[in-house]
Amino acid sequence: MNALLLCALLAAAPAAGETTAIVGATVLTVSKAGNLDKATVLIRDGRIAAVGADVTVPAGAKVIDGAGRFVMPGIIDAHSHAAIEDNVNECTDVVTAQVRIADVIDHRDVNLYRQLAGGVTAINVLHGSCNAIGGQNAVLKLRWGVDDPAQLVFAEAPRGIKFALGENPKRANFSAPGPRRYPATRMGVAEVIREAFLEAKAYRREWQQHEKKKAAGRGAIAPVPPRRDLRLETIADILDGKVLIHAHCYRSDEILMLIGLAEELGFKVRTFQHVLEGYKVASEIAKHGAGASTFSDWWAFKLEAHDAIPFNAAVLHSKGVVVSLNSDSNELARRLYWEAAKAVRYGGVPEQEALKMITLNPAWQLGVDHLVGSIEAGKQADLAVFSAHPFSPDARVEMTLVDGVVRFDRAQDLAARSAATAAGGAQ
Amino acid sequence: MKRALTSLLLALAAVPLSAGEATLLRGGRVVPVSGPALEKGDVLIVDGRIAAIGASIAAPAGARVVDVAGRHVYPGLIDGLNTLGLTEISSVAGSVDVAETGDVNPHAKAWIAVHPHSDLIPVARAAGLTHVLSAPGGGLVSGQSALIRLAGSTPASLVAKAPAAMHVVYPSGRGGFDLAQMFAEPELKTFDERQKERRKNQDKALARLAELLARAKAHAAAQAAATAGQAAAPELDLAMEALAPAARGEVPVVFRADAEDDIRGALAFAARHGLKPIVAGGLEAWRCTDELKAKGAAVLANVDRLPRREGDAYDAAYTNVLALHRAGVPFAIVTNDPSNARNLPFEAAMARAFGLPAEAALRAITLSPAEIFGVADSLGSLEVGKSASLFVASGDPMDHRTTVSHVFVDGVEQSLETRHTRLYRQFKDRP
Repeated sequence: MNALLLCALLAAAPAAGETTAIVGATVLTVSKAGNLDKATVLIRDGRIAAVGADVTVPAGAKVIDGAGRFVMPGIIDAHSHAAIEDNVNECTDVVTAQVRIADVIDHRDVNLYRQLAGGVTAINVLHGSCNAIGGQNAVLKLRWGVDDPAQLVFAEAPRGIKFALGENPKRANFSAPGPRRYPATRMGVAEVIREAFLEAKAYRREWQQHEKKKAAGRGAIAPVPPRRDLRLETIADILDGKVLIHAHCYRSDEILMLIGLAEELGFKVRTFQHVLEGYKVASEIAKHGAGASTFSDWWAFKLEAHDAIPFNAAVLHSKGVVVSLNSDSNELARRLYWEAAKAVRYGGVPEQEALKMITLNPAWQLGVDHLVGSIEAGKQADLAVFSAHPFSPDARVEMTLVDGVVRFDRAQDLAARSAATAAGGAQ
Repeated sequence: MKRALTSLLLALAAVPLSAGEATLLRGGRVVPVSGPALEKGDVLIVDGRIAAIGASIAAPAGARVVDVAGRHVYPGLIDGLNTLGLTEISSVAGSVDVAETGDVNPHAKAWIAVHPHSDLIPVARAAGLTHVLSAPGGGLVSGQSALIRLAGSTPASLVAKAPAAMHVVYPSGRGGFDLAQMFAEPELKTFDERQKERRKNQDKALARLAELLARAKAHAAAQAAATAGQAAAPELDLAMEALAPAARGEVPVVFRADAEDDIRGALAFAARHGLKPIVAGGLEAWRCTDELKAKGAAVLANVDRLPRREGDAYDAAYTNVLALHRAGVPFAIVTNDPSNARNLPFEAAMARAFGLPAEAALRAITLSPAEIFGVADSLGSLEVGKSASLFVASGDPMDHRTTVSHVFVDGVEQSLETRHTRLYRQFKDRP
C-alpha cells in the first residue's frame, strides 16, 4: 500500500523545461570522467545537461542536496522477469518466437517499485527458458506511477528475443503430465534452432520474391502475398539484425554449439545469459562479439551449474567480453550494486569496471548504451543516489530518478509510512 | 581491554612453554565480538583453543608465528540455518539428503548424512565460516539438526553439537509451491472456501503434532519404567524415542514459520506443550516482537528476502532483525542457502545498511547463533579458553571487497582452496 500510495506522490512527470540539480555529491560517472568529488549533476528535460565540479546551477532549478552521498548511473538489469507474474513461459511449444512479453506487462507490479528502491532504472524483461527459441523481450524503464504499461517501455531499445540451451529447454528437471515434449537432449535443441532458421530463411525468400513481383507490377492481377507467419517473421527479423538474441546457457559446449550455428546460419548472438561456464570459452565468446550477462556467484543449483565460479565475470572481462551482472530474481534485483562488488572480490576487477557491469555494459547489451548507462551530458537522466559508496556495507539507496523524475525517494517513502500509521491504516 | 589483560595473565600461567601445537597471530586488529576490539593485538592458539589474547604475547617455543599486521581477526562465522553437507546439487535428487519421505521423521539425524567431502563446504569456509547448523527440512517433523564444524573427513569429526535442535515445519495450512499444480486444472473455490479448508488442514496437522508429542512422552515414560524394572519394555518406536527430548523441552524445537499468524501459532503451540521454541524464517517476526519477547523465543532470519505482503514496506525484510534487536529478542542472521552460505556476512550487511548497528550485525553471525544453540561456552567469540575457530581478513567482513586470508577451525588452519579457485586457475589463462 505504501508503494501504491507513493505512486500518486511521485507520478507527476516533469514539466518541459524543468531543471533539477543534484549538488555536492560524489558522482561515479562510469565514463572517462571517472569519479568526481563534490560535483553537480544538472538535469534538464529529463536529460543530463551537465556534470562536474564547476557546473553552475541556474536560478529556479530544483536542488537535491547530494552532500555525503554517492550518485551513480541507474542500474540496468539485463535479465528480469518482473512485471509478468505467471506469464514468464509459453511452454507449450519448443519455438515460440511469436509471443511478446510487451503484451503482458503489469505496470502495477510492486516489484518494480522495490527494484527502484535498489537503484534499478531499467530492466530487460525476458521470456522464460522453456523453449529453444522463446518469446520476445520488453526493455522497460521503471517509470513507477504511470497508468499504462506502454509507458514503461524503453521505446528506443531494439527488439530482443530469448533463446535457451541445456537442461531447461530439454526439460530435464520437470515432470509435466502427458508425453514428453521434443527435444529431450542438447542434440535436439541444436536441431530445433537450425530447423527454425532454415524455415525462416525459406519464408523470407518467399516474401522477397513476392515483394519483387509486386514491385515489377506486371499482369492485371496483383500477386497473392504469402501467408503471414509471426513465428518465422520474427526469426527472419533476427537474420536481418533487427532482433537481439539473449541466449540462456550454462555449459561451455552448448555455448560453442550456438556460436557454430550462428556462423552456419548467419546470425549474431547479442548476449549469452547466465553463461556460467563462459570462463571456459571466453575467447570464443569475445571473437563472436557477444556480451555475457551472468550471475555473480550462483552455483550448484543444477548439474549444469556445478562448474560455475564467482570468477566468471572477471575472466570474461579480461578476455574483452562485455560483461553484465544480472538478477533473474525480484529479490536479487534489489541489491545488484553488491553483486557488482563481487566482481572486485572475485578476480579483482577494478571498481569502475565492476560498476559498468550493472550500468554501461548491460546498456550496450540491450542496445541503449548511447542513451543510458553512464553519467554524461546528453544522456537520459537515470540516476541512483546512495547514502555511501554503493560497494560499502552501509550503502542504501536514498533516491532513484528515471528520465530526471524522482521515482523513488526514501524520505518520502518513510513519511508515507508514518502518515499511513497515523491514519490507522498500517495494515 | 581490562578483561583481555586479565585473560592474558591467566592464560600465560596456563600455557606450558613447550606447547606442541601453538600458533601465534601477531599484530592484528582483534575483534572479539564479546568485547571491544583490540586495535593491535596478538592471539595465541594452543591445542585448538585460544590460550591468550593481548598486546605483545611472547611466542612459546616452537610456536608458528603468523604476521597479521594490518589485518583483522574475527571469530569464525556461524550460519544458524542451512542444509550444508546434506545437499550438493539441489536439482539432482541423488545428491540431496534433506527431506525424508513421509511427514514424521524425528529420527532423521543430520549428523548421519552430512557429507564431509562436499564441494560446498570449502566454499563456505573460505569466506570465514567455521560452523553451520545443518538441518533436515520438509514434512511436519523434519528431523534433528547438528551444528557442524567446516573441517574434518568423517561425519563424526564434523559434529560440534548433535542434536542441536528438532525441526518442525509449522503447519500453516497454506499450500507450498507445487510444480504439479502448475499443470493441474485450477480449482474453482471462493476465498472463504479456501480459508476454511486451510484452517481445517492446519487444525488437523496441529492435533497430529500434539498427539505425537504426547506419544513420545508416554513412550519415554514406558521405557523408563521398563529400565526401572517396573514394566515390560514398550514396543520399538525409534521415531517416538527420538522425539521425546524435544517433547520434554530438553532440546529446542525450530519451527519454520514466516507469516505473523504462523509465528504466533507456533509460539502458542510451544507454550501449550512445554516446548522450547526457536522460529526459523520469521519473515514477519517484526509483527510479533511482543510475543517473541514474552515467550523467550529466538529467531533465525534471512535478511535478503522480499516482503511477504504486497503492501509491506519495501525494506520490511531488511529491517526485520532491527525490530528484533530493538525489542531485545535474540536472533541470528542466517542464509539457509548451502551453496552460498559464503554470503552470510552480506546478509548481515544489508540489515546494517538499514539501521542495525554494525556490532549487532556481526554478533548475529557469530556469538548470537552460538548462544541460541547453547555452544557459546566454546564458540562465537574470541575469548581465552574458547575454541580457536576464527579467521583473518583484510578488513570488515561485511564489505564485499574484503578478502579472507586465514581460516582456523579448532586451532587447525584450513586450506582456502575450493572447487572454484581450482577451476579459475585452470581456465583463467586459457588463450
